[in-house]
Amino acid sequence: MILSGLLAGVEHGLNRVLRLDSTALGRLGHLTGKVIEVDCASPALKLFILPSDEGLLLAANWAAEADCILRAPASSLLNLALSRDKTAVLHSPEVDLEGDSAVLLDLAGVLQDLELDWEYELSRWLGPIATPLLSGHLRSRAGWYKQGFVSLKQNLAEYLSEESRALVGTHEAEARFAELDRVKLDLERLEARVERLSRSLKSSDNA
Amino acid sequence: MPAFSSGDSDMTDQRKGSDAEPTTHFGFKNVPESQKAEKVAEVFHSVAAKYDLMNDVLSGGMHRLWKRFTIELSGVRTGNRVLDIAGGTGDLARKFSHLVGPTGQVVLADINASMLKVGRDRLLDLGVAGNVEFVQADAEKLPFPDNHFDCVTIAFGLRNVTHKEDALRSMLRVLKPGGRLLVLEFSKPTNTLMSKVYDAYSFAFMPLAGKLITNDSESYRYLAESIRMHPNQETLKSMMVEAGFDRVTYHNMTAGIVALHRGIKP
Repeated sequence: MILSGLLAGVEHGLNRVLRLDSTALGRLGHLTGKVIEVDCASPALKLFILPSDEGLLLAANWAAEADCILRAPASSLLNLALSRDKTAVLHSPEVDLEGDSAVLLDLAGVLQDLELDWEYELSRWLGPIATPLLSGHLRSRAGWYKQGFVSLKQNLAEYLSEESRALVGTHEAEARFAELDRVKLDLERLEARVERLSRSLKSSDNA
Repeated sequence: MPAFSSGDSDMTDQRKGSDAEPTTHFGFKNVPESQKAEKVAEVFHSVAAKYDLMNDVLSGGMHRLWKRFTIELSGVRTGNRVLDIAGGTGDLARKFSHLVGPTGQVVLADINASMLKVGRDRLLDLGVAGNVEFVQADAEKLPFPDNHFDCVTIAFGLRNVTHKEDALRSMLRVLKPGGRLLVLEFSKPTNTLMSKVYDAYSFAFMPLAGKLITNDSESYRYLAESIRMHPNQETLKSMMVEAGFDRVTYHNMTAGIVALHRGIKP
């Protein structure tokens, strides 16, 4: 019952987020009727996900057979949720996938491509006048912070490499790495030449 | 508590009154069978308008979790035919409608016209249409063909049915072989302490809440009494087995205040 209550809350929140993307529910529509079972080994937890054009239904039990069963530890599931290359995670040895993997990948694709229209949700609470003012202000603040962060990063890098000389600069480091690569290649060539010479000396001694 | 879906007229009692007319339970009272339908109809006409609100108030929202668990155990899939008897305001029918999709069918049946109207209006307002039908029907004499439904549910309705055995047989008849019957109903608490608290709650708070919210304490007194007259978990299980269901199991919820029985048609 506690898990069911928890899942009901998560489901409600998740579906509200999905509704902020105008295309997400439409894209989930073609997965209607599919059942995905997520079987977490540690900690032991079973979750059923039923996508539809109404959103996601999360259940702790489901009497019907699942179309796709994903068995993995919690760390791999978290990695799967956050990783952009989901196929690589699915192929890892601790992840066991049974049934139609396309269902799972389609669902993951929809969730990954979410573009949330948070301004619409905000306008429902604040109205049509306050929302653009607030969102314009927030956007400008976000832009300012982003620019400030990039500038800080650049200045810090310049200070550390050019003024304090605590770190080597990028160009200098690249030049040094190129030199090291060249030396490494020269050494390998020299080693090969010595090897060839020693082989030819051995063959002349035998003759 | 979910107030009550109008499964049918009332509880069965084989005892006869002094005038030899069969009597049935109406809560703790015994009344002639001929008066039951009218009395129960009065109850439902009285509570229909504020049914959802009262369900949330009396159960503290728990009825949503009980119904959620029922959906989970139903195993309903796209294209299935589902019958929701005593469907009330359509909580289960709404979920089933999404699960069966456009190729499936959901029938919301209720004997009470007021409840059916509230359920129909509510579902239409929520945009649930196309695969849902509304039928005023008696659970004991379901007007559907044999072997027709993949799943039949009755939530908080069976205890109001006069002849439960007849209703269970009728449900068995309309189910396809392999189809599932799910009975969600109040039951007997498994814990003695919980039972005492529950009794105090039922007979003191529920009629008071009914009085304050719907100005009708009698209907909610009937609810508390009818729950006490309903068969316990094991008895209902035996009744389902006797009706012909196979693999009958039940799950207690909230310490047995509510139980979900499931049986399969062989």
